Amino acid sequence: MSKINPLFFALGIPVVVIVILVAIVVPRMGGGGRFADLTPFSVETYRRDWATLQGNSYRLECQVEQQLVEGRGRVLAVKPISKDPVGRIPVFIPAGSADSFEVGQRFKCRLRVTRDLLVVEALERF
Amino acid sequence: MRHLIFSCFGWCALTVLGFAQAPPPAAAPGGTAGNYQSSTAEGGADRLFNVNSDSVDLENGTMQWKGSTMNLGNSRSVRARFERYLAAPTDNGDMKRYVAILDQIQFLLSPQALTKDNYYRNQQEAFNLLFKAAEFEFDAQGCLTIATQVQKAWRMGSEYKNIEVTLNQLEILRKTQESVIINRADRIEEANAERTDGKGKLVSKGSTGTTELGFKVKDEARTQAQMLAQGTKLSAIGLKAKIEFQSQMVAFLMARRYRHALITSAFYRVVFNASNQEVVVGAKEVKEFFPVSDFVPTLESIDLLAREAIKDVGKGMQTVDDLVKQEELYGAFERLQETYFLGEFEPSVMLYPQEKKRQMLTLWKDLRELQRLGDERDLASVEAFVNKVRGQARDFPSAPVLSKVNNAMNASNMSLLSAKAAALAGDTAKAEAALERATKIWPQNPGVKEFANQVVSRQDTLAQKVPEFDRLMAEAKWREIFNKKLEYALALAQDKERSDKLRKVVQRVGELDANIQKASMLAAQNNPYLAWDVIVEIYKTESDDLVLAKTRSDIAPLVAGYAQLIGRAEKLEKEGAEAAALAAWLSAQDLNPASPTCGAAVKRLARAVAESAVIRSEGAVPTPPAADDIPAPPTK
Repeated sequence: MSKINPLFFALGIPVVVIVILVAIVVPRMGGGGRFADLTPFSVETYRRDWATLQGNSYRLECQVEQQLVEGRGRVLAVKPISKDPVGRIPVFIPAGSADSFEVGQRFKCRLRVTRDLLVVEALERF
Repeated sequence: MRHLIFSCFGWCALTVLGFAQAPPPAAAPGGTAGNYQSSTAEGGADRLFNVNSDSVDLENGTMQWKGSTMNLGNSRSVRARFERYLAAPTDNGDMKRYVAILDQIQFLLSPQALTKDNYYRNQQEAFNLLFKAAEFEFDAQGCLTIATQVQKAWRMGSEYKNIEVTLNQLEILRKTQESVIINRADRIEEANAERTDGKGKLVSKGSTGTTELGFKVKDEARTQAQMLAQGTKLSAIGLKAKIEFQSQMVAFLMARRYRHALITSAFYRVVFNASNQEVVVGAKEVKEFFPVSDFVPTLESIDLLAREAIKDVGKGMQTVDDLVKQEELYGAFERLQETYFLGEFEPSVMLYPQEKKRQMLTLWKDLRELQRLGDERDLASVEAFVNKVRGQARDFPSAPVLSKVNNAMNASNMSLLSAKAAALAGDTAKAEAALERATKIWPQNPGVKEFANQVVSRQDTLAQKVPEFDRLMAEAKWREIFNKKLEYALALAQDKERSDKLRKVVQRVGELDANIQKASMLAAQNNPYLAWDVIVEIYKTESDDLVLAKTRSDIAPLVAGYAQLIGRAEKLEKEGAEAAALAAWLSAQDLNPASPTCGAAVKRLARAVAESAVIRSEGAVPTPPAADDIPAPPTK
């Protein structure tokens, strides 16, 4: 017969579950996730003056709208997920990526602005 | 003179033609004396006169009367004579008295007036009246000519009688000589009988009286020869008198002095005692003109023609009066003209009132002017003159005249058009022929002058237009060339190289205009983005075109954001920022998903971005991407 108080289980298990859930949801709610340390990518700034962004890495959450070119790397037209609709932007997926992309898929990624090109260095679906 | 002779033949021809068609004449009972109304002549006259209407052809100087053509002489003199008649004052003499005298002469010589008792008295009385008639001015002393002819015939008659007396005396002499010869011959025969024996054998020789008999025979033969000579002279005198008389008769007839012809004919009958009514004068010539002829014209035929002419003239003048009363002056004029040429010496024609003749003269002058305009083909003036003539003579047939004028004008204009077309096509020979045709039909056609000016100015234009065209071509001012394309087409028609250039410019601007029109239509259909696409596309090649610039500026406010995006995209692309340009194109495509321009730009730039990304990451020349179709962007 276990010496542990059943009440302990009755209260402990839900608490653990809640903690686990919080641990999963909170980061998501906060928008950071895996790339939380990165600055969100500003589409408006990019369109206005991409030169100010070049060389930097940013975090971008987006949805795949269209695959424009597929060959040695892909060029995708993605729609950034934000409160205000900002329209589509092109991102480049290097050839080494083994990920598949379907229209409508959402993912977070780390973008590097190589000159004016938005190169996806890492991504995470969500 | 020649024409007069011909007209004489014409008259004679009328006679021959008419009577040749008549049935064979019946035998004239009791000779021809006093038989003025021959049934043969009437039958022939019926056929002769039952023909088409009369008309005068002043151009040829001829007149149709009773279906036969009479030559009036030289057309100019005929016109002048008629014009003189219209302009001359009317004779003021006592025409009625004159006509009465002529009628009286005819009556005295007519069969109903002549008897055995008054046969010579009537002749003398009629002869005396000839001198009274000759006193009238209208007679033109025609009656004196008749009187002279009659007197000559009478003198010949006296001469004839003298010869007859001589003949009788010679006959008596011949008979006396004949009886003397017989007597001498009997006596010689008796003497010869006494010198023979009972058996008839000559017992002695003797020649008493033989020589005398020879002379007597010779005298008798001479007398017979003298008689024969006198007989021949007698026949010659008779024939000469008849021929001279007939010649005068025919001369009066052909001069259209019908009353004189009738009087001459009447005198002929009584002077020659109706011994021979056959007309000899002119018969040979008539046969030459109308080889019909076993027919011989007689006095009756001449009489009948003269009377019929007098009757026609009278009716003609009545018709003229009626038409004038009905204000149908043109018809009256035509009838007067015909009647005048048929019987200008007839009293009714000579006494026609002067004021009416002046009216006709005015119309005549206007008609001649109208004819002159027609001859000179001054068609534009003809219409005005036709109206003027119509103002005077309401029955003037203006419609056919104007119709012909309009037809001629149209024909000339058509030829002129043909000339222009040929000139434009560079066919000079054809153009010249057509122009000549147009000028021939209507020499004063204003279009001809205009065409000539155009040809002259075309030469000037050629000198100006060619360098102007070259300059505009060098400056690529297509629109300016296009706006003057017709002028350049005319000027450069024969310059193949420049014409080809012009054709290309016209085609180019034509396509541009079609695109501008398309853009305008799209904008009007509330589809400004597609309109802008069209504008942007053609603007690449035709950025200098003012019409395009205007259309562009009209549509630009409707698509300000879209245009700004495209402008920015193009600028970025030029700067080498292909990814940024692609982003701008994608934004533009978001605004205008159906835009082929955006689709093409996105496709092009996506490949370029992919290639440049590979180059950047690897530092190597990228292989071109697969030519896969880029799916169209999802519609919003």
